[in-house]
Amino acid sequence: MTLTHPSAAADPLLYDFFGIDEAALSAVLSEAMGRGADYADLYFQQSRSSSITLEDGIISKASSSVDRGVGIRVVVGDQTGYAYSEDLDLDAMKGAARTAASIASGGGGVPPQGFSRGSGEDLYTVPEPWEGVATARKLPLLQEVERLARSLEPALTKVTVGWADADTRVLVVNSTGEALADYRPMAVLSVNVTAEKGQEVQSGRQSLAGRFGIEHYTPDRLRTLCQDAIDRTMILFEARRPPAGEMPVVLAAGASGILLHEAIGHGMEADCNRKGQSIFATMLDKKVAEDCVSIVDSALHPNERGAINFDDEGSRTERTELVENGILRSYLHDRISAKHYGLERSTGSGRRQSFRYPPIPRMRCTYMENGPHTRDEIIESVDRGIICETFTNGQVAIGAGDYTFYVKNGWLIEDGKITAPIKDVNIIGNGPDSLSKITMVANDLAIDTGGWTCGKDGQSVPVSQGMPTTLVSKMTVGGENA
Amino acid sequence: MRDELLKQAHQAVELGKRAGAEDVTAGVSWSRGLRFEWREGRLERVQESTSRRLGLAVYVDGRYSTCSTNDLDPKRLAAFAKEAVDLTRCLQADPYRKPTPPELYEGRSDVDLDLVDPALGDLSREQRIGWCREMDECASADDAVHTSECWVSDSHSVGARATSNGFEGVHEETGLWAFAEVSVKDGDKRPEEYDYAGGLHLASLPAPATIAQEALRKAKLRVGSQKIPSLRTKMIVDPHAGARFLGRIFGALSAGSVQQKRSYLAESLGQPIASPLLTLTDEPLLVRGMASQHYDGEGISSKRRSIVDAGVLQTFFVDTYYGRKLGWEPTTGSSSNVLFAHGERDLAAILASVQEGIYVTTWLGGNADMTTGDFSYGLRGFLVKGGEIAAPVSEMNVTGNYGEILMRLSEVGNDPVPWSSFRTPTLVFDDVQFSGS
Repeated sequence: MTLTHPSAAADPLLYDFFGIDEAALSAVLSEAMGRGADYADLYFQQSRSSSITLEDGIISKASSSVDRGVGIRVVVGDQTGYAYSEDLDLDAMKGAARTAASIASGGGGVPPQGFSRGSGEDLYTVPEPWEGVATARKLPLLQEVERLARSLEPALTKVTVGWADADTRVLVVNSTGEALADYRPMAVLSVNVTAEKGQEVQSGRQSLAGRFGIEHYTPDRLRTLCQDAIDRTMILFEARRPPAGEMPVVLAAGASGILLHEAIGHGMEADCNRKGQSIFATMLDKKVAEDCVSIVDSALHPNERGAINFDDEGSRTERTELVENGILRSYLHDRISAKHYGLERSTGSGRRQSFRYPPIPRMRCTYMENGPHTRDEIIESVDRGIICETFTNGQVAIGAGDYTFYVKNGWLIEDGKITAPIKDVNIIGNGPDSLSKITMVANDLAIDTGGWTCGKDGQSVPVSQGMPTTLVSKMTVGGENA
Repeated sequence: MRDELLKQAHQAVELGKRAGAEDVTAGVSWSRGLRFEWREGRLERVQESTSRRLGLAVYVDGRYSTCSTNDLDPKRLAAFAKEAVDLTRCLQADPYRKPTPPELYEGRSDVDLDLVDPALGDLSREQRIGWCREMDECASADDAVHTSECWVSDSHSVGARATSNGFEGVHEETGLWAFAEVSVKDGDKRPEEYDYAGGLHLASLPAPATIAQEALRKAKLRVGSQKIPSLRTKMIVDPHAGARFLGRIFGALSAGSVQQKRSYLAESLGQPIASPLLTLTDEPLLVRGMASQHYDGEGISSKRRSIVDAGVLQTFFVDTYYGRKLGWEPTTGSSSNVLFAHGERDLAAILASVQEGIYVTTWLGGNADMTTGDFSYGLRGFLVKGGEIAAPVSEMNVTGNYGEILMRLSEVGNDPVPWSSFRTPTLVFDDVQFSGS
């Protein structure tokens, strides 16, 4: 619990913060490379997180947690040895390094004796790290959200407000002699509401999440958060299931980026391509979509959940074009896959949940670029279909290419007009097939502000997604009475 | 290890008291895991992990918070406890937040649950690699295979818990699992399937080759899968897929969701919520059970409970906090091993007797709203025709409402997966809405 805010000027690489020095780093890397290695890295991390719950009008619970340790990775070709130590004592770190080294079987490598400071972006500097924000300053935010929600909608019978913030500090040091340190803030404010009308009960939620400080939670944004949660919930009293079967699906601007995340994003992560598992493994440089389709995965959107100043193996981050004017351009690479494919460098996509896990290629902020159409043109073009507005989750099978996402709120489109509200339907499609069926893209790109988290291989990382209004000419919609 | 962790838990309770808390619960956990991943004839990844953590729950002036850390340096624990108490003082008093009443600690079973296999501690690197090799050779022996991957992992964990009102306990378990995934050639597609098996003991692990064979068998059946038109028909749910589908109703069975008005079953105690074929029992004292425990997360002594009897709801999962809010007697906050009353037949016999339907092997995404019971899931599976598995089906959704579909449960099999805490046999539901092309 030695949680003092380090001065960036006095301790730019967080050596003092983690209680280490260059000699210790060399010694641990020397153990890691003791049986030979193409590459080795150390990932020091300390996270402090806290959460608060307001329920039934009372700030009823708070939690806080501290997690720290160092992950040690040894890479030989495509092979990885990995171990971590929660104890930053030199002997404990050397012990973990020897375990990681067991993947290799050759002679010893020579570790760097000194480290130079690598450079990263500056995407989420906050005026005040969360550890400096007293709990007493957070409570009024939760109370204001509850008051607002109840004042905006008298039919609400329950309002629960959840708060979570975290400060994470990382130091990545590798066998090429590079060292990079970062401070990564995160905050999520969410509101769950339940409303009753007669015998019927409906509930819904909304959240406002990103890498920012308390200054972001302005009265206007709190009001929008509450109004969104209420609108999503109250419309459920009128909403029905759409007819079952195939139909045109319009994806509203914003969170609809979930389509990209599932239909193409995961399949473009290079680990599953180097292993030949992805349906996209042989499609690079091929035409997979209409000219109006350009899909990007970028680390560079300031303050988004998916923003990273450098990735979790210390590589430069970037804006990666997955699809450019309909042509499949690049996978998302970590160091291992970049080397496998003979590339000069990765796309800065190596990410991990914590020091307990080795980095693997992951998405950051995935979205589609604006296209030539307008939202109205797209809706007018649909005879009979649906428009999807809010989502809860999605999934993909990357080999078969089948993917799904769950639509919480949407509307029927009949004769080119939005008519009745719909709710609670799953949509299923096949990645390459859906990409080829994107026929119209509007010019209203929005990045969603909800707190999206992506899971893969047992690791969760924060991500973002966005979309302009888009038409997919045919998808299979869960529903009733085909 | 057990004694050491329990001693640390008692010390942490003392630190919390000294820092000013009226009541304190402390949990100290230790876990170790080792995983070997194998691909294309060699090791892909070796991953070792050892973790410790201390969690404190403190009650101060009617206020409550929980704090945890993995920095267990004794020099810093007093400061940690003080920060926990200081944080709690900032909150509001909540009349329902109180420690677990000590009478709920009474009557703890001392039956030997047999959750620890010391033999796992002696496993060698060669043994683990041998299992991987066995799976890999089996999975790659077939020309249809496009890629294969497998892993073997084992774990050992110990958790000690102590409170200022007289509770102490230690839970320890081991685990050993093997997993194989295979993708096969199918035009542009590479349909993948996996299988896994294991348990708490070395003896729980079947011959690893059989796991790879099963993954391969399932993947080859996916070749040529296609969309079929929307239809209403019977749904036969594979034992491996049942937990994901039926487990969702447990969200609506927690006292928290009832009190927060987010349960479609809120008014259903003593009422039929499913067809009379559904009988569910929560059995925490199952020997070698995946979720067996002598006490629950609040220290309440574990007991066998009827959850649903012949379709009628018998109980909710009531923790002490929401129990107080609702004025209900606490039971336990969540389920442990969920056992089904079995029917007469296994999957093969059921498929043969069900002339037409959709046999669901795997869910793909989807979700449910437990306030209303509405659900919609993606799936893959097979069309059943004339009592036989016909074409593999993909890109299909199933949509409905739990309140309605559970009433249409028309058969329960006798074939649960042994290595699961939610032991669903084959289930058949009548008149289910599927959407396809």
